[in-house]
Amino acid sequence: MTKYIIKRVIMMICTLLLISLLTFILMHAVPGGPFTSDRKLPEAVEAALNAKYNLDDPLPIQYLDYMVDLFHGDLGPSFQYEGRSVNDFITSGFPVSARLGVTTICFVLLAAIPMGIVAALKNGRWQDMLVMGVATLGVTIPSFVIATGLMYIFSYKLGWTPTIGLDSWRSYILPVIALGGYSLAFIARLMRSSLLEVMGQDYIRTARAKGLSEFKVVTRHALRNALIPVITILGPTIANLLTGSFVIEKIFALPGLGIHFVNSITNRDYTAIMGVTIFYAAFLIAMIFVVDIFYCLIDPRIKYD
Amino acid sequence: MEQTGLWDKLESSNENRERLWTKSRTFAGDVWFRFRHKPTALLGLLLIAALLLFALGGPFLLDHDYSQQNLDYVNMPPSIQVTDTAGSRFYVTPNLKLIEVAEDGTLLAPVPRLQDDFNSRTQTFDYNGTTLTLNYGLTPPALVDESGNPITDVETIHNKDYPLGTDGLGRDMLARLMYGARISLLVAFIAAAVNMVIGILYGGIAGLCGGMVDSVMMRIVDIINTIPLTLYVILISVVLGNNSGLVSIVIALSSVYWVDMARVVRGQVLTLKSQEFVFAARTIGTSSKDILLRHLIPNAMGPILVTVTMLIPQAIFMEAFLGFIGLGVAPPMASLGTMCNDAIEALRTSPYQLFEPALVICITMFGFNFVGDGLRDALDPKLKK
Repeated sequence: MTKYIIKRVIMMICTLLLISLLTFILMHAVPGGPFTSDRKLPEAVEAALNAKYNLDDPLPIQYLDYMVDLFHGDLGPSFQYEGRSVNDFITSGFPVSARLGVTTICFVLLAAIPMGIVAALKNGRWQDMLVMGVATLGVTIPSFVIATGLMYIFSYKLGWTPTIGLDSWRSYILPVIALGGYSLAFIARLMRSSLLEVMGQDYIRTARAKGLSEFKVVTRHALRNALIPVITILGPTIANLLTGSFVIEKIFALPGLGIHFVNSITNRDYTAIMGVTIFYAAFLIAMIFVVDIFYCLIDPRIKYD
Repeated sequence: MEQTGLWDKLESSNENRERLWTKSRTFAGDVWFRFRHKPTALLGLLLIAALLLFALGGPFLLDHDYSQQNLDYVNMPPSIQVTDTAGSRFYVTPNLKLIEVAEDGTLLAPVPRLQDDFNSRTQTFDYNGTTLTLNYGLTPPALVDESGNPITDVETIHNKDYPLGTDGLGRDMLARLMYGARISLLVAFIAAAVNMVIGILYGGIAGLCGGMVDSVMMRIVDIINTIPLTLYVILISVVLGNNSGLVSIVIALSSVYWVDMARVVRGQVLTLKSQEFVFAARTIGTSSKDILLRHLIPNAMGPILVTVTMLIPQAIFMEAFLGFIGLGVAPPMASLGTMCNDAIEALRTSPYQLFEPALVICITMFGFNFVGDGLRDALDPKLKK
């Protein structure tokens, strides 16, 4: 187990290094520098800016500088908003995104798992049809369509929920549904098929044969094993919610990290794009790592190799 | 062989004894048989066919071009509310222009504006010598005729010139939808094809070579798999810039999504390469390249096909996503994603501008997902759940 964790940590560090290198190379492959804009700067100003941000150094040196800063937790200044650093974006935006994300994950799990269980236990009946219908819709409709559709109906037409911002619990309803829609559908489908498979196993028949009630068979014997694939999918789900939040935050004008990222893309704020990408990637990789470790802990059949 | 009655003895000539009485089906026929007995798969195929027809054939049937702007007819909804006065119908646009409309819904011409009085919040229009006054202090704006009587007769008729309305620059939504669907499908097909080629070659080489080469190549795939790909698609599109539009999106989408394909192909090649027909090919001196391309890949075509049909909706999804966050094709080109993005600003007044492209995206997703599911079940009946 320890060996497995060490191996995974080494792998994680390699991946992070690769990501930072990749991001750095990609950002420097941009034609022109960060100060190239429609308005041509005077040459002296441009030279001074280049000198200030060490843009005259050879690329490997710049990369090393960036990495040293990165280890100190400094993601550099924003090139578009004078006086703001990329760290500011993250410290101001991430808590908002995280709150939305955690709420969404709770909602998804609390809704999707019961949905999947009901669908599996009522296999082929109307409850199953209903859940699978909703799940198919959730997988096929892009999140921004769900978000704008919900916003149009519930905020504009009915006026039940606020359109923008995150002031009260009501403001969370629409973003959470829109953000979680895809994952909800995916996990409900996964839960259904996994429970169906488990219910056909021999040990379920044994449990029934010794006279357990159906409720006990499902909760004590079937569900435990059926939940394992759902836990594996948690890592990718987190990734999904995170990238999904770009559009959701844009539509509902939430002051999260996602909207900063989208804005820095529109503004071509290269350091911000780079910093936020590395932050997101590191966060995601760490989350997937945690999920994997957790997965190994609850399923003793997994071989640590 | 003729049977006269049910209880007659069968003729037992040799040639008929061994004959197979049912028609033998080819593998493709078998797949098609299973495929067409799944209603959702057939529906998906139908949706895709309709969509292709819409995107490729549609533009020939229209008078309007996707990029043709008409600033007189901005934000015209599909069904318009017209006020009826003595046989002439007028439509008041959201930005307070007056348009004369024929009875069948054809837009005739904008009525020339005489003056705009900010203080009384009225505008006057000259219609064939008579003056019409539009009081826009009221909501909704009220039209008043020459003698001062408000025109109250309102009827809703269908916009015949622009069946799906116009966008914020007065471009025909229907033409733009057709064009947008074409661009989205084009991007998706090219990206899927490129991913397929890269994935097949990468996975095939890894699987065929085995050993050190395989483990290094698969380690790289593992690393790529842990990287959040959406971020890198965004990054690559940013780097390639917006001016190349279509090309940069295709490159961004093709450069990362081949990983799944590579895994599928490697798995297939690993199971196939120890089979007798590969040994037979080796004994007669076939080169590794020919074994891969002529023997292994064709045998792995089933799973490859399924992966590709799943790649296409993924690419459409991703393209729409990129378009929506502002990294789509450059105007005046349109894709379904950029059309949704353009529509956000006018969501409150012209929601149809968002719902139309959104519907086309959903239909596309339905179609490809259903066909993918159907194909998977048809190609591998053992996989049935």
